[in-house]
Amino acid sequence: MATPSVNPPLSETKGDSLPPEHQSVPVRQSLHYKLVITLYRVFAITVLYLVLAGIVGYAFVMGFYAVNSSWAAPIILSAADEKSLNFREKLVTSQQTIEDLKVDTKKLEIGLAEMKKHRASLLALEPELQQAIVRERSHNRTTGPELAELDQQKQADNLKTQKVLAQLTQVESNINKDLASGLITQGDAATQLAALNQAKGTYTDSKIAEVLLTDNVLDKTTTGTNSLDVLVKQAELRSEVAQLDVAINVAEKQLQEESRQVDRLRQAIQTAKQSPYYLNASGEKTLYFAFVPYDNQASAAAGSSIYDCYLNMIACRKVGMLKQTFAGEETAIHPIFKTQIRGFLVQMNLDHVESAKSKTVFLGRKPMLF
Amino acid sequence: MAPILLWLILVLCLLISAVKYLMGIILKFSFASTKAQKDYGYQPTVSVLMPCYNEGKTVYETIESISKSNYPNDKFEVIAQDDCSGDDSYDWMLKAQRDFTNIRVRLGRNEVNSGKARSVCNALQHSTAEIIISIDSDCVFHPDAIRELTACFAEPGIGSVGGRVGVRNPNDSVITAIQTVIYYSAFQLYKIPENWTRSICCISGCLFAIRRRLLLEIEPAIRSRNWFGIPVNQGEDRFLTHQTLLRGYGTYINNDALCWTTVPNTLPVLFKQQLRWRRSIVRDFFFTLRTLPQHVWKLHPNTVFTLVLTPLGAVVGFLVVVTMLTSDPLAWAGPVPLITALGVGAVLTWVIKKYSAKEAVAHPLAFGAYIAWSLVSSLFLTPLALCTMDSADWGTRAKPQEVPLGNAKR
Repeated sequence: MATPSVNPPLSETKGDSLPPEHQSVPVRQSLHYKLVITLYRVFAITVLYLVLAGIVGYAFVMGFYAVNSSWAAPIILSAADEKSLNFREKLVTSQQTIEDLKVDTKKLEIGLAEMKKHRASLLALEPELQQAIVRERSHNRTTGPELAELDQQKQADNLKTQKVLAQLTQVESNINKDLASGLITQGDAATQLAALNQAKGTYTDSKIAEVLLTDNVLDKTTTGTNSLDVLVKQAELRSEVAQLDVAINVAEKQLQEESRQVDRLRQAIQTAKQSPYYLNASGEKTLYFAFVPYDNQASAAAGSSIYDCYLNMIACRKVGMLKQTFAGEETAIHPIFKTQIRGFLVQMNLDHVESAKSKTVFLGRKPMLF
Repeated sequence: MAPILLWLILVLCLLISAVKYLMGIILKFSFASTKAQKDYGYQPTVSVLMPCYNEGKTVYETIESISKSNYPNDKFEVIAQDDCSGDDSYDWMLKAQRDFTNIRVRLGRNEVNSGKARSVCNALQHSTAEIIISIDSDCVFHPDAIRELTACFAEPGIGSVGGRVGVRNPNDSVITAIQTVIYYSAFQLYKIPENWTRSICCISGCLFAIRRRLLLEIEPAIRSRNWFGIPVNQGEDRFLTHQTLLRGYGTYINNDALCWTTVPNTLPVLFKQQLRWRRSIVRDFFFTLRTLPQHVWKLHPNTVFTLVLTPLGAVVGFLVVVTMLTSDPLAWAGPVPLITALGVGAVLTWVIKKYSAKEAVAHPLAFGAYIAWSLVSSLFLTPLALCTMDSADWGTRAKPQEVPLGNAKR
């Protein structure tokens, strides 16, 4: 700021100017204080440099992990790992389900075979029954009219016989009169009466025969209950066959469905066996895995070298190879930014197993060239 | 253990900031006793002490604004004390003395650079007034500032009264916009609960009124302030306020007594200023802890609470930031904190525009940048302040020469 151009040089107004402040004798710092201050300064400088180093280091780490695309975070999956245990439990359940389904399938197959056999036997009855019905109907058509004619003749005969028998009552009376009058002996009378009774009996038999014949004609010429019974039997037979068809169809479909389910479960188990959690739970050896974020996917090729570094970025050494990658998506917490990220797991073959405990490892190459 | 510590830190932060700001809002609109009883008929004699160091023409403008005060001219004077400025400040002071003849302007000069606190003490030697008003030489004052300050001394028991400091350059940059919002919320909200109990813990040195006899009583303590033999020239306003409270007087901020200061508009200057303030806070904290029983016995619980928790907040802020950066570094960059910060900023900006148009901030989104700044300041300032307690550097002026302890003592 420039000095004002007016009234140079400026001077104090005498009455309102104050005397300058004089320096008084300085108070000397005691030796004790000097020592404290010296120690404090050494301590302060050390702390400040440490804080500065910490902040710079922290900022560098943050920046490094913001741009680096080859890091992976090792994960130690113990046999008692909850996810592995759950996985194994589900696997066992799936296998058990397959076994149950196999048993069910077997039962179904046996039942189906039985049903088919029964159906075949029922179907074999059908033509025989049909044939018998036809044969019977044909026979009836032939014998029916003949019997009807004979029935009429029989009725006519019986009518004639009835008329004759009506005269026998007079004869019987005459016999009794002749016996009473002693014209005939008792023996003759008995013989004559017996003959009369025999004639009556014969008529009765003939009448019965007529009724039976009429009945027979009725059977042969009309549809009677017997015929209906046969038809019912036939319908029952067909119904049973139809029911068997339905049952067989259902059983076949169930069989197919269960077979498909078994296939699906087998496929799922096959896929599951490729999971790190299965490998971890079933393997006897300790396996090493690492989480790779999708951003670093390009670096995660099977056979890539794995490097472990001090301070998570420098002085790196090769500690193993990447064995395989797993397709399933995993989520994890970013080891530095602490945000949730998506990625996948890889299996590592580590020569230096302590690297499995590192916060991060690097895939493919050293991140800082040393 | 760690989660408990984290919870304690969070609760402490909540107590320090949220509770005080919320209390500020409630008290501001509901309790009449929050405001002091002012008597404008009470017009004591006043000496306006203005220490000055390398301010150039600004000092002229400051005296000019004081000369326009609505206060009987025969009842106040300006005592400007130059602290060996390397520029033409003293010439401007002389010019002001000549130009503003309606008031009495007296000038003094230190023989060696002594710092603000000792310059005030030196100027005090020439005053006989009842009330001393210490001001910053880079501020501009409202004509009613003196009248408003002195009116508060009518309330018995008030020892020191401060004014509200507004920002002259709110829209110089995002940095000044941020400070405008902070200054406004500090005076209008944060200090209100302290006003309620007449126990402001830090009256701004920009506009600080105190009874002369009280200042004379405290003066030896100001002059002998030292840190293991190294004189302390910073934070005299906080020290004076603290001493006022410890002597049984009340402290108060009258938001109607206005002055306007030019706040730093570059990051390095702001950083140095904040570092100086943080150092004062830490120093005050140590003093409070050292004499805690005396504080508990003598002061209002609200005062003790503020004196302990405010500086502790600075340390806690450091712990919070470190914890946050190491446990969840991107949490502060999430949408919720960002929207919250911008929301608070927008509301405060609107309030400032409505109630103090002169300070209206043109960058309402600047408050978002404040979050980033507070992270950086929390991380750097506290450890840096703790490790540079021996520094006498003012920071926002050219480097002054160090004065051995007692050099400025008369």
